Amino acid sequence: MIEASNVSLRYKDGTLALKDIDLSIRQGDLVYITGPSGSGKTSLLKLLMGMEYPTEGTLKVMNITIKESNRNKIRKFRRHIGPVFQEFKLIEGRTALENVMLGMRFLEYSNKHIRKMSKDALERVGLGGKMHSNVENLSWGEAQRVAIARAVARKPSLILADEPTGNLDHKNAIQILKLLNSFRNDDTTVIITTHATHLIEELGNAIFVSVEHGEITIERRG
Amino acid sequence: MKKYFKNAGYFIKETGRTVKTQLLSNLFSALGTGLIFFLLGIVIAGWYTGEQLITMLSNEAEISVYFDNNLDTDQRSTLLQLIENLHGVREVNYINEESAKKRMKELLKEEAEILELFDDNPFEAFIQVGLHLDVMDTVLDQIINIDGVEYVRDNRDILEQIKGITDGVKILGFLLLLAVGITTVIIISHMIRVGIYNNREQINTLRLLGAPGGFIGFPYILVGLGLTLSGALFALILCFIIINGVYGGIGNYLPFFPVPAKGEVLSNVGLIIILASIVLGVFGSLIGLLSIRERNNA
Repeated sequence: MIEASNVSLRYKDGTLALKDIDLSIRQGDLVYITGPSGSGKTSLLKLLMGMEYPTEGTLKVMNITIKESNRNKIRKFRRHIGPVFQEFKLIEGRTALENVMLGMRFLEYSNKHIRKMSKDALERVGLGGKMHSNVENLSWGEAQRVAIARAVARKPSLILADEPTGNLDHKNAIQILKLLNSFRNDDTTVIITTHATHLIEELGNAIFVSVEHGEITIERRG
Repeated sequence: MKKYFKNAGYFIKETGRTVKTQLLSNLFSALGTGLIFFLLGIVIAGWYTGEQLITMLSNEAEISVYFDNNLDTDQRSTLLQLIENLHGVREVNYINEESAKKRMKELLKEEAEILELFDDNPFEAFIQVGLHLDVMDTVLDQIINIDGVEYVRDNRDILEQIKGITDGVKILGFLLLLAVGITTVIIISHMIRVGIYNNREQINTLRLLGAPGGFIGFPYILVGLGLTLSGALFALILCFIIINGVYGGIGNYLPFFPVPAKGEVLSNVGLIIILASIVLGVFGSLIGLLSIRERNNA
């Protein structure tokens, strides 16, 4: 699923975000990327999304090499990714259902099928009664769930969630992490970044990637 | 293509939302574009009418042959016959003095009473010769050399003046078309760029979700097309009012003025304005879309 070999990322202003990363993630893995703010977690996620390109080394995600010349391929491969952004990136003025459907309109499904898949995803995240509410009228936690529904409705091979527990209380944060975990299966890899390490300790076996000052350490549990 | 049809409802809704976001600006853009198309429409109407007029008058080129008044009836008949037999002559009519006076009365209308000041009929008899414009010079040379012919008057000067005016209108039309094209593309591409900027977050999200460029950009093509077509509709209404008014005026004050059928002028003007609006709307939108560079993080 993901193979990183000596990957470094240096931004245009000279900041070295990631240094000599070696990482191998299989299909169906559950991965937590942890580390303090500014450690490089989001930068790693950006590399995996193709939002940034490695300045050194080789990174392959779903058999696509992440490099600038593969821009068109990267845009296509994003259709197999379910991103949950830190800021949600929901479209205001649209309902929860419309937001979820928007993530699939350009995929090879009929409108009827898209609508059904979107409704099912919203039901799964516990927002069956709010699918026709405008997203700006939802609470933070509910908006978070809409973002998750949008990510999972398209049956992605890879779910990337960036700080999904930010601004949530302990109880809701655990619920969100468990919800994301529930989408992992043999065909779907889930990668979650979080600085709330105390939360993920409660959740059992996974691959823990700790990022500090741009370097990583990997621990596989279970 | 199938994806575009499948998402037609979504594209139309997005187009409406984008227009509503800057409703006043879009209204003014459509109005401005409409006024530009209206100017274009009037120039095209003038150009088309002039071309048709030239063609009509060229086909009805005629000369008036004035002869020696002492020629008797037989001699006048012989003269008529000689002229009729010349190559390029379409028809020959003998206009006697009374008919000449009557024609002038019809032309002068309310001013005709001025002719009553004359004790005698001041008009001479003449031979009206209808011929093809391209043989006018040859026929003129032949006629002037016929015995009994004193002088010949032709309408070539008028034709050349009308042709000159029409050529001028044609050049003005080309320049105006160029100005219309450039101005419309600038207005539309600017509005599209503003629309894209206002929706940059949504566009970026769609890119991150893997949406193709065509899916993201198509609503903006529709916005540009909508603006120019709205402007075209406004222009057509104005053109219709003006052209109707002009034709009404020509009918009342210049009844003998040969103009093409009003329906013909309106349909030609309408077709050009609609085609121009479609081409410029799409082109302006594409320029607006292409000028927004993809950010590196998407």
